[in-house]
Amino acid sequence: MAVSWLQRLAARAAVPVFPVRGMHGEEVLYRLALTPGIKLVDSPRHASILLVAGGVPPDQHDALRRVHDQLPGPFATLWYRSEPLDELAGATRLDDPDALPEALKTIHRELMSGKRGSSPRLLPDEPPNPWEGLGDDGHGGKGMMGGVPYGRPMAMNMTDDIRDGLTLDSLTVTLGPFLPMLPPGLTAEVTLQGDLIQSWTTHSAPYPIALESVFFQALQGPVPIAELERARARYHLKRLHFALRLAGLDRLALEALRLAFAPHPGQDRAMALRRRLVRCGFFRLTTTGRGRLDENQARRVGGIAARAPGLEEDLRSRDAAYRRLEFTPIIQGGADTNARWCQTLAEIEQALQLADQAERDAVHTQRSDGVETPRGPWHEQWPEEASDLLDDLLPGLEWDEAMSTLASLDLAPLSPWSLEETSGAPVPTSVEERRA
Amino acid sequence: MELLTLFFIVLIATGLGLLIQWLPMRHQPMPTYPQRAPFLGGGLPETHAWSRFHVRYYPMTLLLIAFEMEMMFMYPWAVVFVEQGMKAVMEMGMFLAILSVGIVYGWREGVFKWQ
Repeated sequence: MAVSWLQRLAARAAVPVFPVRGMHGEEVLYRLALTPGIKLVDSPRHASILLVAGGVPPDQHDALRRVHDQLPGPFATLWYRSEPLDELAGATRLDDPDALPEALKTIHRELMSGKRGSSPRLLPDEPPNPWEGLGDDGHGGKGMMGGVPYGRPMAMNMTDDIRDGLTLDSLTVTLGPFLPMLPPGLTAEVTLQGDLIQSWTTHSAPYPIALESVFFQALQGPVPIAELERARARYHLKRLHFALRLAGLDRLALEALRLAFAPHPGQDRAMALRRRLVRCGFFRLTTTGRGRLDENQARRVGGIAARAPGLEEDLRSRDAAYRRLEFTPIIQGGADTNARWCQTLAEIEQALQLADQAERDAVHTQRSDGVETPRGPWHEQWPEEASDLLDDLLPGLEWDEAMSTLASLDLAPLSPWSLEETSGAPVPTSVEERRA
Repeated sequence: MELLTLFFIVLIATGLGLLIQWLPMRHQPMPTYPQRAPFLGGGLPETHAWSRFHVRYYPMTLLLIAFEMEMMFMYPWAVVFVEQGMKAVMEMGMFLAILSVGIVYGWREGVFKWQ
C-alpha cells in the first residue's frame, strides 16, 4: 500500500533525465531544460532515464555502455536522433523534438508504476579487476606500498608538485566523452595532485557544433543583419547557460536560455542579465587571472578569445552595411577567463543592439566572401578545432579554475551542416516574414 | 540501575537505527560493479583512489600549537617563578627547548614564508 502510494508520488515528480550529449544533440537539450516537468541531472545516479541525444561514434560505444550501466534500476533509455546500441535494439527511438518531453514523461510514469521493465544491464556484474588477496596486508601487492588493489596500481607520488612543493599522490583518470562539465565528445587523460591538474592530455576533440543556417546563407548572398546578430547572441547565450550551470547558478542559467529563445530579445534584457551576473558574483569566480592565452593561441581560437585580449579581428568591420550601423569591434585588453566572459557579455549586448538597429532600417549584409561566425572568422577556411591547446593551458590550474577556463573557451570545430538540418529545430522566422 | 536503563536505551536506539536502514533495503539488490565505479563520463580511473593527501594547513597548525602552548604555560610559570626561582627557570628552559624543535621543523617546512 505504502509502496504503491510512494510510486504514484514518484511518477508525478519531475522526470530526472541524464543526457548523453552526442553529435548535434545539444539543441534539443536546451529546449528540454526549459520544459516544466523535466529535470536534467548531472549524474547518472540521480536519473531514471538515460537520454542519448544525437549520434555517438562507434569508438565511444564502450564509454556509453559504462554510463548506461551506472543508472540505478529501474531505468529506461530513450534515443533521440541516435541509433540504439546493438544490445538495446528494441529501445525507444525518437526523431521528433516536439514529441520528446511527452515521451520522457510517459516512460517515467510507466517505469514508476511498474508497467515498463528496467533497461537490461550491458556489462557483466563482476569486479573489473578481481581482488587478488596477495601481500601481508591483503592489499593486492607485496610490502606496504606498490600493491595493485582491485587490479589498479596505488596512486603514487610519481611527480613533483608544481604548485608549492607540498607533494601529494598523483591520481590519473580518463574523463569524458560524456562528462557534463566538459564539452561533449572531449576525452582527456588527467593527472591530479589533490585539486591541482598536474597534466592534461586531450585524446579526442569535442563534437562539431552546428551554426544556424543564416551564417551559411551569409556566404551565398545578402542576409538581414538582424537575423545574423540574433543568431550570434543566441549562440553566446547558450554557452553562457553552460558556464552558469557549471558555476551552480541554475536560475541564472535558465534566464540566459530564456533570453536565447525569446522571440524578440532586447538589449535591455541582456543588460539586466549582466547586472544579475555581477550581483551574484559570477565575474568574481574568474578574477584570478588564470587561463591566459598568448597571442598565437588567442588568434588560433579566434572569435571572442581573440578579441578579448585586443586583437581586432572581426570580418564585420569590412562590411559597409555594418559600418553604416557604426559597428566597431569590442575589445577588453585581457587574455584570461574573466576577460573572455566580459567580452561574451559585451558581444551579446552589442549583437542585440545591432539587431534592433538593423531591423528598424531593414539592413542586409553586403559582403558574402566571408562571415564572422560566433566561433571566429569564416572566409577561405573554417575556424579550426583547437582542443589540443588545453594540454598546455590547464596544467598548474586548480580544478575549479580549469573548468571555468574550459567553459570560457570555444574550442569545438564547426559542423558542415546547419543547426536546422541537424537538430530539427524550427528555422527562425525572417524579418520579412515577421513583418508580414 | 541507571547503567541498566542506559544499556536498554542504547540497545533500543541501535536496534531502531538498524531496522530503519534495513527496511527499505530488504528487497533491493546490491548495486552492480559497473554501477559502483566512479562516474567519469564514460572514462576509467587508472590508479586506485586510495591516495595519500597532504594536509596543507598542518605546519601552520603545528606552529600555532607551539606558540600557544608556550604562552599557556608561561602565565602560571610567572607566578611559580617567584617561589621556585632558578629551578623554575631550568624547567621552563627544558620546556622551551622541546617546543623549539616544533618551531624549527615548521621553519624547515617553509611555514614562515608568505606564499
